[in-house]
Amino acid sequence: MNKAVTLISFLLILASCTRDGELFHNPSPSETGIEFKNELTPREDLNILDYLYFYNGGGVAIGDINGDDLPDIYLSGNQVKNKLYLNKGNLKFEDITEQAGVAGESSWNTGAVMGDVNGDGLLDIYVCAVVGIKGLNGYNELFINNGDNTFTESAAQYGLDFDTYSSSAAFLDYDLDGDLDLYLLNHAVHTEESYGRANLRYKRNYQTGDKLLRNDGDSFTDVSEEAGIFGGIIGYGLGVAISDFNQDGYPDIYVGNDFHEDDYYYLNNGDGTFTDSLKKYFGHTTRFSMGNDVADLNHDGWPDLLSLDMLPEEEEVLKTSEGDDNIQTQRMRIDRFGYHYQFTRNMLHLNRPGSYYAETALQSGIAASDWSWSALFGDYDQDGEQDLFIANGIPKRPNDLDYIRFVSSEEIRSKINNTRLVDQEALNMMPSGAVHNYYFKGKGASFEDLSHTMLKKDTLISGATAYADLDLDGDLDLVTNNLYREASLYINQTNEKANYLKIKFQNPGPNSYGIGTKVFSYHNEILQYKELYPVRGFQASSEPIIHFGYDQAEIIDSLRIVWPDGTFQLVREVAVNQTLTLRPENPKIFDYASLLPKHKKHFKKVEDNLGIAYEHVEDNYIDFNRQKLIPYQISDRGPAVALGDLNGDGRDDIYFGGSKFYPSQLYLNADSTFVSQRYPELARDSIIEEVSAVIEDFNADGKNDLFLGTGGGDFFGESAPLLDQYLVQGENGFTKSQLPEYYEHASVVKAHDFDGDGDLDLFVGNYTRTNDFGVIPPSYLLKNENGVFEILDNKLPENLGLVTDAYWADLDGDQNEELVVVGEWMSPRFFKNNMGNLTEIFMLEQEISGLWQAVIPSDIDGDGDLDLILGNWGNNNKFRASQKNPLRMYYGDFDSNGNTETLVSIPKNGKYYPLEGLEGLSGQMESLRKKFNTYRSVAGKPIEEILDKKVLREATLFEVNELRSGILMNNDGKFSFAPFGQELQLAPITAFLSYDFNKDGREEVLAGGNYFGVKPYHGRFGSFSGAMIAGKNDVILGHEMGMDLSQKSVRHLNVVQMNGQHYVLVTFNNSKAAVFQWLN
Amino acid sequence: MRNFSILVLLIWVASCNMKQDPIMVSAEELHSAVDKVTDIMVHDIFSPPVASRIYAYPNIAAYEIMVLNNDGYNSLSGQLRELEPIPDPEAGKAINYPLAALIAHMDVSRRLIFTEEKITVFRDSLYGIWEAQNRKEFNESREYGLAVAEHIAGWMDKDNYKQTRTMPKFSVNTDDPSRWQPTPPAYMDGIEPHWNKIRPFVIDSAGQFKPTPPPPFSMEEGSDFYKEVKEVYDISNEITEKGDASEEIEIAQFWDCNPYVSVTRGHLMFATKKITPGAHWIGITKIASRKTNSSFDDSLYAYTKASIAMADAFISCWDEKYRSNLIRPETLINEHFNDSWKPILQTPPFPEYTSGHSVVSGAAAIALTDIFGENFAFDDDTELRYGLPVRSFSSFNEAADEAAISRMYGGIHYRTAVEIGVKQGRDLGQFVLQQLDMKNESALVAN
Repeated sequence: MNKAVTLISFLLILASCTRDGELFHNPSPSETGIEFKNELTPREDLNILDYLYFYNGGGVAIGDINGDDLPDIYLSGNQVKNKLYLNKGNLKFEDITEQAGVAGESSWNTGAVMGDVNGDGLLDIYVCAVVGIKGLNGYNELFINNGDNTFTESAAQYGLDFDTYSSSAAFLDYDLDGDLDLYLLNHAVHTEESYGRANLRYKRNYQTGDKLLRNDGDSFTDVSEEAGIFGGIIGYGLGVAISDFNQDGYPDIYVGNDFHEDDYYYLNNGDGTFTDSLKKYFGHTTRFSMGNDVADLNHDGWPDLLSLDMLPEEEEVLKTSEGDDNIQTQRMRIDRFGYHYQFTRNMLHLNRPGSYYAETALQSGIAASDWSWSALFGDYDQDGEQDLFIANGIPKRPNDLDYIRFVSSEEIRSKINNTRLVDQEALNMMPSGAVHNYYFKGKGASFEDLSHTMLKKDTLISGATAYADLDLDGDLDLVTNNLYREASLYINQTNEKANYLKIKFQNPGPNSYGIGTKVFSYHNEILQYKELYPVRGFQASSEPIIHFGYDQAEIIDSLRIVWPDGTFQLVREVAVNQTLTLRPENPKIFDYASLLPKHKKHFKKVEDNLGIAYEHVEDNYIDFNRQKLIPYQISDRGPAVALGDLNGDGRDDIYFGGSKFYPSQLYLNADSTFVSQRYPELARDSIIEEVSAVIEDFNADGKNDLFLGTGGGDFFGESAPLLDQYLVQGENGFTKSQLPEYYEHASVVKAHDFDGDGDLDLFVGNYTRTNDFGVIPPSYLLKNENGVFEILDNKLPENLGLVTDAYWADLDGDQNEELVVVGEWMSPRFFKNNMGNLTEIFMLEQEISGLWQAVIPSDIDGDGDLDLILGNWGNNNKFRASQKNPLRMYYGDFDSNGNTETLVSIPKNGKYYPLEGLEGLSGQMESLRKKFNTYRSVAGKPIEEILDKKVLREATLFEVNELRSGILMNNDGKFSFAPFGQELQLAPITAFLSYDFNKDGREEVLAGGNYFGVKPYHGRFGSFSGAMIAGKNDVILGHEMGMDLSQKSVRHLNVVQMNGQHYVLVTFNNSKAAVFQWLN
Repeated sequence: MRNFSILVLLIWVASCNMKQDPIMVSAEELHSAVDKVTDIMVHDIFSPPVASRIYAYPNIAAYEIMVLNNDGYNSLSGQLRELEPIPDPEAGKAINYPLAALIAHMDVSRRLIFTEEKITVFRDSLYGIWEAQNRKEFNESREYGLAVAEHIAGWMDKDNYKQTRTMPKFSVNTDDPSRWQPTPPAYMDGIEPHWNKIRPFVIDSAGQFKPTPPPPFSMEEGSDFYKEVKEVYDISNEITEKGDASEEIEIAQFWDCNPYVSVTRGHLMFATKKITPGAHWIGITKIASRKTNSSFDDSLYAYTKASIAMADAFISCWDEKYRSNLIRPETLINEHFNDSWKPILQTPPFPEYTSGHSVVSGAAAIALTDIFGENFAFDDDTELRYGLPVRSFSSFNEAADEAAISRMYGGIHYRTAVEIGVKQGRDLGQFVLQQLDMKNESALVAN
């Protein structure tokens, strides 16, 4: 019995070690005949020190070069010769390199791509080279297909024999003249000693600059300069994607640049020129941009873009690798040197026509795939959704922190100085980065990591990857070019389990393969969209076919084919499981405008902003300079905004709160416009930061007064700017009136006559304290006695929470308002009011602790009672929280130096890890450097192994189990939480407005959000364009309704009336206030 | 059974035989303990001001034990701010004072550095030898040494170091053109912006030797400040043209003393780690002690005096650095003259004025001159192990002047920071000499 068990377990272990992936089978080189191996040998004069892209690997290009419909494989090598393998069927390949004459003459090849350069209907091969570094010689070679399994190298003849630092090249017909032009992607080798200014990209450099080459029939002309293509010394081009991103019929170009140089987003102007529009459409990009790919993931007919970076997934690797920039360095690179926001992780940019791309990699689950070279979208399992294959790995991780700090100096310095060769022993001390390749199963823009089941677990270092249907069974197979190991074939086992369609084109003219052709496929009312651009991923080109999966559907309702020349044809009722070959037949002019989303524009930006010129300016104070481990800033929650009649003309005026060094501003409603009015008595305290304001007649003298809740990150202790302000309006303007003395950071002030004596009392919600993040300050009930406020003691719990918002509303239908309070690291709390006596009541079905930012009551389901709309942090960030595994925050003086620390830890596989590694943690708690001498000794350790258990036990523990925004549905006085869909979870939701815009008798809720007060570790939360919420599933996003609030951080939404029209006033942090007109 | 008896016998013989040897602790053992601290600091990467603190406290601990046994020296208690007399040894204990001093030195060092393992391995091998030589003397001396270390640690813990760890970082503000900005290639945050809040040893306050301000910032051609920037640029071009073998470049590199030079080669990053300016002068102290065949006690006196002067020098210098917050030449030269210019030395991550190396060299030279005399010629081989040559000097002050001017050759300081800096250090050094009464002249005369 025992023996049997042992034997079985042994077999199981054996099986699991060699087990094939469920989706992909890897045949051995001896079976297939593909024995190409990109072996690398560092030489004394050529190694990772001399050439920073020593480990980037070769290329792979797949296409049928001999017309037998079997895709053939060309693999390029760095120090080994290139190989061409003829596909003989049944996954047997023959090496015909010698007879074909395509081994290449250059000493270091990189990307390899296929395309019909001379327009004879045969696929030619263009293979890139790195020339000029450390004796590397040769040039980019162009192998023209003779049609008889031989090729003639003709690069010089075509003007494509560049001897530069080439990564790859991509074919496109940018001028739509019917032939294939070429974008040559080159890379800089300039060592990144200092950033230099971003405008270095305008100074052309032959070796490193990218080039756009126009096909003039028998040769190519470099048109980079006149076309507006950058060619500078800082273009570390590693990825290039061609797509008609803006669907205007002209192909556009996205270039991914490594290091500090921005990526380029070249929109084709249609006149032979391009305009780099990166900052206009992208809130941020990858930092160490590598390969990229484009596909329509969410079935809207618009191409989405994935750019790869190198963020590790494994805790141990993550905490031993150099991470994101220090926040001050990043600010400097942006403000001073002119670069854009870049963060170290994969970025998934979802196309939103006319607006910024929505970046969703964290929400989509594909942000971290380690040292990633190639991304290829494809419907590998043919369920109608795009899946994702990522090839990755690096032989040695040079960004290992222990290596940089502790090993390198002693071990390699002298060696480098003397021989310039990294000693093998020193190299061995760098940890290996042989990470398994990734497979993500897609559903729309959401992905599930199925690497461990769908792929055989590998330790390959894979780079260039291409797809093709190698065995002609209809599904997409993959080929990866690996370092030190034979190229891998990933043979797709979907076979008959799901249906497919393959499409090839026969396009008249030199662009014979129809590069740039678009296909819109419709089945069961599902749209799938593809463009034919075989160059994709990294240093590779795939088989020039369009492939769709249809799951079990048998018939495709229609295919709309849009040809590169802007004509289209419709093919109806197409059977699945076949290869269609299509050529233009009676095509008609395609109307690209028909692709534009047909959303109703409900709002219009008001040109003159109704005279409101208010701009909030946040000073450059950085909370993290003071408390290095806090999860986000508290200093940027302003400005305050209040509406009310301040000059007694019966019209609402606007009060904008001041920020540090910028006094408050007042705009009076002057019938047709707002007019700025200066009140010297209000401008006096220009260093206070006002976060919340209320305009009411508190002393019942017929004139409205002002109550100002103040905060600001730079103030702490008994700092005067923290005193809230009460300004009473008399005959001669405003005078400061006495208030109880308390020094807190106010977050919200809500007026309500809670004691029923006819005047307005106040709830003042307080947030937390500067330099003591996590402390719960008291919030106050201020009772109004003839215009004088006094604190009502003991009416609110002392530990109310880190309050952010509150509302007085009748939630249980007893005609008496309850107080609902929301905040961060807490669950919403409810208080029943009995003439100023507040009693906490429990109205939630289940506690939902969140990072709540805003609340508004609204009868969203129209059942007659008030529901609560709640703004939360969203799920497009690095925090993770669930009921079972909440997000945690510890607050206490961990190092006993009299100052508190705040430590956030996130759940991963059931364990809790701090967000930061040794560097970050010891920056606040130096004693950890004594406890942990290396980065590795902390990496991968859960928090209770880093800090003493006792310290953690004594700390205050905060938890968050819900990060999503949503609705608390009122079911007879009991509230249950219903989260919104993914599109409302892109960023924190920070402001609401409930108003019956469309006059249907029910109020709609307008929501705004986005937040930037986080470290580069988190990135920037800017992808939420705002929304109008009329029901749980009745949501219109801001960019679809004419009120695009993307990439700005909303603080307040208010309705202002002017001439009987109603407008929405949007107040942002650190930006100009904007007015939108309701159009109906 | 018989084996057992032999074993017992052997142990007895061993313990008995060895037990009687008095433990000899020479100056060389002190030198190697100090060297050990230097090595660990290089490994752990301590910034220059923090390093100066790490040298001072162990030396003081050892010195305070030493004076109990040497009439020629006076205790520093009552002379250094808030230092209370160390506990007396228990009567009747066989205290070997140099041994106890060395043990205290190692124990205070252990508390100050990060990688304790590196010092405990070193310590335990010494402990093993001493224990074998004379267990009783060793144990009793150790007990006392550790008690003194504990006493010094209690004093040390109140110098505000811990509190400064969580004080705010330096805020970069690129809108102010005169304000210091992080520099290539690592763009590190300004280090130790609150070092002036560390309790000084001798000086009244961090601001006592506040230097005159640098020339007012102006990049207007012809302004004094502009001329200073231009001078750095011109000198750098001039000596670069002369080549690596030029005297100026040799001088710049010899005195680089940057504990963490970040090197980026594409994706490959590594650090070239060297000793700090303070460590260099500690090295010179060793050279002078050896050259004069100084005893354990006399060497310890030299280390202690030099390290106290340097620790206060760093407090004084850092006070000014984050008062004037002056921008480095590299930033301005890149912006105004040449965007690809790089200084010969890597710009260290803190404001320019005054030059730290100049201040600390000035202070150290004054202290060492006081101990070893004017015109004390020496061959400085401190940097040999970092691949740099030996340089010879005819006096400590000559070395200090060269260290100061080296910062200009290196392209990391303007002339004023160097000239005013070395003066700031010398003035401070003189003050330390005046204040500290370490040598008991009457006892020396009597000897």
